[in-house]
Amino acid sequence: MEKLTIDDFKKMLRVAMTNITAREEEFSKLDAVTGDGDHGTAIVTAFRAVCEGAESGSEFKSMLNDMGFNVMMKTSGSTSTLLGGFFLGMSDNAAGTELDAEGVKAMFKGGVEGVKKNTKAMPGDKTMMDALVPAVDAICACPSADIRQVMDAGAKAALAGAEATVAMKANFGRARNYGEKSIGYADSGATSWSCMFASFAEAIG
Amino acid sequence: MNKFINNPDNITSELLEGYTMAYKDFVKLGGENIVVRAQPKSEDKVAIVTLGGSGHEPALSGFVGEGMLDCSVVGDIFAAPGAQRLFQALQMFKRDAGILLVVLNHSGDVMSANMATQLAERSGIKVVKLLTCDDISAGLDTPEEDRRGLAGCVPLFKIIGAAAEEGCSIEEIYRIGKKFIDGTATLAVAMKGCTHPQNGATIACLPEGVMEIGMGQHGEGGQGGQQPLVSADATAEVMINQLMKKVKPAAGDKVTLIINGVGATTHMELSIIYRKAAMMLEAAGVNVVSGRIAEILTVQEQAGFQMILAKLDDEQERLLKYVPSNAPYWTTLGNCGR
Repeated sequence: MEKLTIDDFKKMLRVAMTNITAREEEFSKLDAVTGDGDHGTAIVTAFRAVCEGAESGSEFKSMLNDMGFNVMMKTSGSTSTLLGGFFLGMSDNAAGTELDAEGVKAMFKGGVEGVKKNTKAMPGDKTMMDALVPAVDAICACPSADIRQVMDAGAKAALAGAEATVAMKANFGRARNYGEKSIGYADSGATSWSCMFASFAEAIG
Repeated sequence: MNKFINNPDNITSELLEGYTMAYKDFVKLGGENIVVRAQPKSEDKVAIVTLGGSGHEPALSGFVGEGMLDCSVVGDIFAAPGAQRLFQALQMFKRDAGILLVVLNHSGDVMSANMATQLAERSGIKVVKLLTCDDISAGLDTPEEDRRGLAGCVPLFKIIGAAAEEGCSIEEIYRIGKKFIDGTATLAVAMKGCTHPQNGATIACLPEGVMEIGMGQHGEGGQGGQQPLVSADATAEVMINQLMKKVKPAAGDKVTLIINGVGATTHMELSIIYRKAAMMLEAAGVNVVSGRIAEILTVQEQAGFQMILAKLDDEQERLLKYVPSNAPYWTTLGNCGR
């Protein structure tokens, strides 16, 4: 796969929406370990707003911008902020109606920058950053010009990153107060974001 | 729960309707849960906008008026307004001079402000954020991001609102405001909790004869801990000493001292507290050039107060005391009030 089209990207979003919705309860249960147990509901609601923002899109920059705008306007909370920042950052680094592998890499790299504007969490803090950062690092480091392989590398790294949070102690936000009690469970945000990257790869696989 | 309310879901809209009806010469509703001036400021001047949950009346909408805020964007009880409503307000005040957005450091408010400013910037709206973090209950060396924004925002509104009215640039207003924030510290004490007016939940239950220094404005605990209730003088002394350690006023420095009642503490008590705190400052040679005893930011029927100590330079003193304001809950006559 040498080019990623708008239709391909919309398919990635649809598959992600389906998979995230199917795992809603699992995300909420993980969140209940150190939080208020609403991450499943939050990510489903927020991702729905992301998808609605993409509906009329026909060009990457404006479509990604609308997606970020829509989630930030229609929903609130940290999940919304982070997803919004992700797609706004992608919008700043993508344009046109199709992207090659280099364009895809630049777009996701921009997404991480956009998220960083909205959180001070770092990899190792047991947050969604533990899935996102390795995923995008792997996407950017993938030497292939085949977008399937690029996204596959991202999905694998995101999954490994989310699994690694099981052994971590929460070090960010309210969850930090749980200290040792947070060990033994994966972070809910890292798990849902790895689900998103896995879905992206699955959709074009 | 004994409160004069109607449907709990309508508290915020109904209180804002009542407020803007009472003070219609000065304020009006500019949108759903958005309070603006009755007479807008000219567009060549910087607009000052803030945001925050309701349940803290008269904060923050009580300070909308000429010489103070242009707009307050109001959330539900103790909850930040969503980014959408804030973005709507920023669109209303779009201007070349820019918008200064004052954000009290609470995670929900910060998050909404971050989202709305990102969206505003992408829409060509010039917004500069100013974060307040005057609470010192978490310790004197706690980094800014871990300190809450308490009632110290209110004298800030007065100072930067006056500067904006005089036509200062947004950079200049930011500089004046940041300097004020850096010289401001607030400490709260509570001795009786309150109930959430929507769900009836008890917030910060304190036993009889106990007070807690460091209580936040949603009844959340600080790190001062609970201790036996002592006299007004003893309480004032402990608190002003902490504030002086943070603000470090030298002999001869000018300061303003504000005692903000949070709901159920009488002005009688607040005045007795003010007396002792001011005497302690004067004993240290500090020049208390401005004072206030009032309810500017409340926490329902909680008993207690916030003590605010802020250093003033000559410019800030003038902006605070001598530039007129017709905001309903902070009226200043200007020079004739000297």
